[in-house]
Amino acid sequence: MEKLILKVEDLYYIYGNGKSALDGVSVDIYEGEKIAVLGSNGSGKSTFFLNVDGVLTPEHGKIIYRGTVINKKNLKELRKNIGIVFQDADNQIIASTVMAEVAFGPMNLKLPKEEVVKRVEEALTYMNISDFKDRPPHYLSGGEKKRVSIADIIAMKSEIIIFDEPTAALDPLNAIMLEEVLIKLGSEGKTMLISTHDVDFAYRWAERVIVFCEGKIIADGEPLEIFQNKEVLKQANLKQPTMLEIYEALVEKHLLEDTKAYPKSTQEFKKILEK
Amino acid sequence: MEKIIILCAIFLMAVFLFKWKHRSEYTQRDGTYHHKHKFGHKHGEGSSIDFYAYASKIRHWNATFKVSLSVLTLILCIVFDNPYVSVVVIIAMAYLTVVKGELSAYGYLSILTIPIVFILLGTFTIAIDFSKQPIGQYNLYLGFCYVFTSEAKLKTVVFLILKVFAAISALQMMTLSTPSSEIIYVLRKAHVPKLIVELMSLIYRYIFILMDVYTKMKNSAESRLGYCDFKTSCYTFGSIASNMLVVSLKKANAYYDAMEARCYDGDLIFLEEDKKVETIQIVAAAAFIIFIILLWGFTR
Repeated sequence: MEKLILKVEDLYYIYGNGKSALDGVSVDIYEGEKIAVLGSNGSGKSTFFLNVDGVLTPEHGKIIYRGTVINKKNLKELRKNIGIVFQDADNQIIASTVMAEVAFGPMNLKLPKEEVVKRVEEALTYMNISDFKDRPPHYLSGGEKKRVSIADIIAMKSEIIIFDEPTAALDPLNAIMLEEVLIKLGSEGKTMLISTHDVDFAYRWAERVIVFCEGKIIADGEPLEIFQNKEVLKQANLKQPTMLEIYEALVEKHLLEDTKAYPKSTQEFKKILEK
Repeated sequence: MEKIIILCAIFLMAVFLFKWKHRSEYTQRDGTYHHKHKFGHKHGEGSSIDFYAYASKIRHWNATFKVSLSVLTLILCIVFDNPYVSVVVIIAMAYLTVVKGELSAYGYLSILTIPIVFILLGTFTIAIDFSKQPIGQYNLYLGFCYVFTSEAKLKTVVFLILKVFAAISALQMMTLSTPSSEIIYVLRKAHVPKLIVELMSLIYRYIFILMDVYTKMKNSAESRLGYCDFKTSCYTFGSIASNMLVVSLKKANAYYDAMEARCYDGDLIFLEEDKKVETIQIVAAAAFIIFIILLWGFTR
């Protein structure tokens, strides 16, 4: 059994205009999990992330990080250990050079300067952007900005990394790069939460899927189990992953033997066909 | 004295022409096509100055060194009020920017056109005067009054132009070789109040974001015929302006969230790296300053 890292209990959040965004959300997150958070626009995913990171204060509800209940005093501890890569990199990048930008988080952690420089260099190499560390962010392309915003969080060495719709506004090549980074981070045992509308990606990558709908979690479990649950998919306005749909169609027409070996990617699918 | 100034001006022109020709030959040999800019400044020049600063070959020089050299030169220029000093400064700064910084002479001149226009407009009124009587060394009858001037006055104006131009080129050397973030860093080291320095760095970053948002809005309005006639243009401009306000408020919120998520707690601190200043640079700068002072001493 893996260790519980973050426990969210009965979280309620109401926006200033009286619209309730989170309506009693409870979830347990274990170390090293790869979680895809699905749900239509306005279903409360981003609000949930901001609450979990302590940026927004919930109406009521508890956030427990490694056994400590988070209150105003140890909020910083929570922010230090949970990093968010925001959807729009332009809303995150604040400094006027890439180097200073990536160093912003570590500097706020009040680390010694040598340590900051070391971490920044590491993060830049990790994201393969060492070449433009002196460049200002306004001369970077969208994909490069995204990489910078990920390097921001890597430099902070947080245990949990939250990606808010990372694949939005990326070209296919950058999306592949992003997936590689995600796999690499996953192999290093980071806990990751990713909100996405790309069900194929969620099906391929995630170990666990959480589905939000109107501020509530309506489903939480293995990707396969969730994506086979037509009820949930309909409620959350999601479609089935293409791979799964094709597999099921083929099985239904008796073109394939039903071995319950659900392929997650085209490569896996090809292997099944070759048999 | 005038002869020397004229000589210097000719020399300056020759340097520029040489660089220019050299460049065009180079381009032809290379076979690459460079954009043919129209002479003079284009709109959005602000960002091109910023771009030149990043492209400059003397960018890696220590920022404090560059800023102090340029400010010291500026002060000396104004304090000495000496045409020789001014000419030397103009040439030296052009040399630093164009030859050392490898900014094209073309780009340099086109950036300088903005201040030159202002200087000429400003000094023109000093050179001439109006009168009912035909007085002064030179006068011109305009039908109802005389415009007159004198040699001494013209001389003052030329010296004034030289002084202002030298001061501007000293500052231009700084802006064309040092990115704003580094200038802000120097100011921080010079103990300029934190509030101002933080505001400067934020404003610098957001100017580009605002411009970006504005361009996007303008383009989308244009694609929907938002600028088809004068009345519509005014209306569109107003809508964009009000929309920008809303967007900037929203962006400010999003930014604050993003900063808080990264442990921001009231102090904007950025990592700044010190670049080494080479001895030869200091020696050269000191020699230059001493030369200026000596020049002033001998020609006073």
